[in-house]
Amino acid sequence: MSGEQDRLLGHADEADGIDEYDNKLPAWWVGLFIGCIIFAVGYGLDRHFLRPTSEALEYDAEVAAAPKAASVEASITPEAVAAGKEVFMTNCVACHGADLHGGIGPNLTDETWIHGGKLTDIVTTITNGVAAKGMPTWGPVLGPKKIADVAAFVHEQGGGQ
Amino acid sequence: MTETPTATPDYDDQTVRNFVVATITWGMVGMLVGAILALQLAWWPANLGLPWTSFGRLRPLHTNAVIFAFTGNALFAGIYYSLQRLLKTRLWSDKLSTVHFWGWQAIIVSAAVTLPLGYTEGKEYAELIWPIDLAIAVVWLAFAANFFGTVAIRKVKHLYVAIWFYMSMVITITVLHVVNNLAMPASLTRSYPVFAGLTDALVQWWYGHNAVGFLLTTPILGLMYYFLPRAAERPVYSYRLSIVHFWGLVFLYIWAGPHHLLYSALPDWAQTLGMVFSIMLIAPSWGGMLNGLLTLRGAWDKVRVDPVLKFFVVGITFYGMSTFEGPMMSIRSVNALSHYTDWTIAHVHEGALGWVGMTIFGMLYWMVPRLWNRPLHSVPMATTHFWLATVGIVLYIVAMWTAGVTQGLMWRATDAEGLLRYPNFIDTVVALNPFYWIRLIGGLMYLTGMIMLAWNVFKTATAPLNNQAPAGTAKEVA
Ligand code: HEC
Ligand code: HEM
Ligand code: HEM
Repeated sequence: MSGEQDRLLGHADEADGIDEYDNKLPAWWVGLFIGCIIFAVGYGLDRHFLRPTSEALEYDAEVAAAPKAASVEASITPEAVAAGKEVFMTNCVACHGADLHGGIGPNLTDETWIHGGKLTDIVTTITNGVAAKGMPTWGPVLGPKKIADVAAFVHEQGGGQ
Repeated sequence: MTETPTATPDYDDQTVRNFVVATITWGMVGMLVGAILALQLAWWPANLGLPWTSFGRLRPLHTNAVIFAFTGNALFAGIYYSLQRLLKTRLWSDKLSTVHFWGWQAIIVSAAVTLPLGYTEGKEYAELIWPIDLAIAVVWLAFAANFFGTVAIRKVKHLYVAIWFYMSMVITITVLHVVNNLAMPASLTRSYPVFAGLTDALVQWWYGHNAVGFLLTTPILGLMYYFLPRAAERPVYSYRLSIVHFWGLVFLYIWAGPHHLLYSALPDWAQTLGMVFSIMLIAPSWGGMLNGLLTLRGAWDKVRVDPVLKFFVVGITFYGMSTFEGPMMSIRSVNALSHYTDWTIAHVHEGALGWVGMTIFGMLYWMVPRLWNRPLHSVPMATTHFWLATVGIVLYIVAMWTAGVTQGLMWRATDAEGLLRYPNFIDTVVALNPFYWIRLIGGLMYLTGMIMLAWNVFKTATAPLNNQAPAGTAKEVA
């Protein structure tokens, strides 16, 4: 350590007895500070000028790269109806009732359909939901296979057309 | 080294004692409410089914009580104690000191009444309704006048570094409070902010972040710069470092608010600004940590016996941790995981329990024997408080880190088909429940320590008067 180390400034009488050393800034600390500043400037230049991107573009890229669920052709088979019943009992009874007679959501067993009673209509309603009326969007939650099953079940229970 | 005589008649120590008592009282209340919140998150029936005791109303009561009542009163006590001694003069105006003390307590009481009743402006850390906001502005200006008045009549030329840190708080908090609370009153309890939408959000987090910066960081550093070298009886490691890191903090902090709004509708460039200014904050923050820890060179033997120094060492260490973690959480990709999770809660309490709380406890244990001119009632009890608090913090933050990362990973987990693995939110709540119980245990340990402090101070203050010079706490142990 050099002789400069730990030289007192002699302020103690003006600071309630607290004196201060005149020590230099630790070199690694200065390096850290400069390093962070270089990173900060570099990051900003890179993101906004050299290779411009944005959160919206990043989102699009991620969605494009994400695995896609294979699309499933809904059809009414005993297996599908049985599997669909299970999906219905876990996810739908709170609003449509275990007997499908309705509650928060409408009765699914009658002939009246707000969004159409064909199998493909039911698949569409379940997949996209009706956000304004309180029917959740099930597409990203259940995926095509389970939606095809539960649609088959609903179609079988009610007055599917 | 000789002790400077303390209760010199010149100094207004009655005001300091008042603020000390208020700190301890509100500290117990605020942390008790924190423990109730922790219980409610682990076990919902603790909401009691009543609107006044529900989580949504008690949460702002907790944050306001611990920040403005516990930390606020502690800052006023420490600042008024050290300012007089550093400047060798009594506080400028006894009238202002009285207005400041009683005004601040009245504000706290009105907050404690209005928040459970549900009166709120809905801005975090600025929930209080406009009449209380006005009262805060008035009392704060009384404090500012008293502070600068004392600086003006000082008997020494030099302004010691602690005072710069105090000044940065007095000035910045005035500006932040006024701007963020600009609102048009519609009735006694209701008002509409003058800013709308995104602008309002940006102003709110400019306020929110700098309230952290200039209430929970810079003034606490000021206290460290006064009380640590006094307790350790060592010179400050580097005057230059204190200048450079002070200006670094003050200049950089103000721009970092947008790191609370990453991945929001805020323009991308503004989010970048918040992130990179946070990264640049690492070194200035660590400058404070270094100057604190290196000041203890040659005093580590005292740390072993003196609970005051133990509190400071752990406090400074948590300061270093939270000011490294914060900048990491400001990085977009890290924030994408941590935001909305308990990771934030871990970070908050690392700073709040670790840095702010421990520094305040150390300061109180050092100041109380000198203020009441009696030796501390029990040093072993203070040491027990130290260990309870330290273990409590570790339980709290390790539980919340684990909970936060678990929660973040569960939210983003998808299966091979790109579907959510945990589509039902309740799955994550169930997974976190054990950690909420662990957090409660940690919080209760911290609260127990706080109560021991209150008892220790009460016994000290009511002990028969000791005519000898007040003893430093470490000396009775040896
Ligand atoms: C949170 C409550 C809720 C849940 C849970 C819910 N739904 Fe619905 N559902 C509704 C509401 C409300 C409507 C009525 C929408 C409207 O009025 O347009 C509805 C409408 C529907 C319709 C269209 C009915 C028509 O007349 O066209 C179908 C089909 C349906 N739901 C199936 C399901 C299935 C299958 C599930 C489970 C995977 C489910 N719902 C879960 C609330 C819910
Ligand atoms: C016994 C000690 C404490 C316990 C048990 C405790 C508990 C809690 C709990 C349960 C929450 C709510 C978390 C959530 O919403 O998920 C919270 C929030 C908070 N607490 Fe504490 N707390 C304690 C002490 C403190 C102290 C001393 C401070 C400050 C000096 C503090 C500052 C805060 C802040 C700022 C928040 C809001 C965090 C945010 O919005 O992200 N707490 N606390
Ligand atoms: C360089 C220093 C720091 C930086 C860059 C920083 C950064 C951050 C970031 C990125 C968040 C999370 C924002 C979010 O995702 O919502 C946060 C939250 C928070 N930090 Fe820090 N932090 C720092 C130091 C501290 C310290 C020392 C304390 C306390 C004493 C503290 C108290 C808080 C609080 C209370 C919140 C919660 C705000 C809320 O959402 O209510 N921070 N900080």
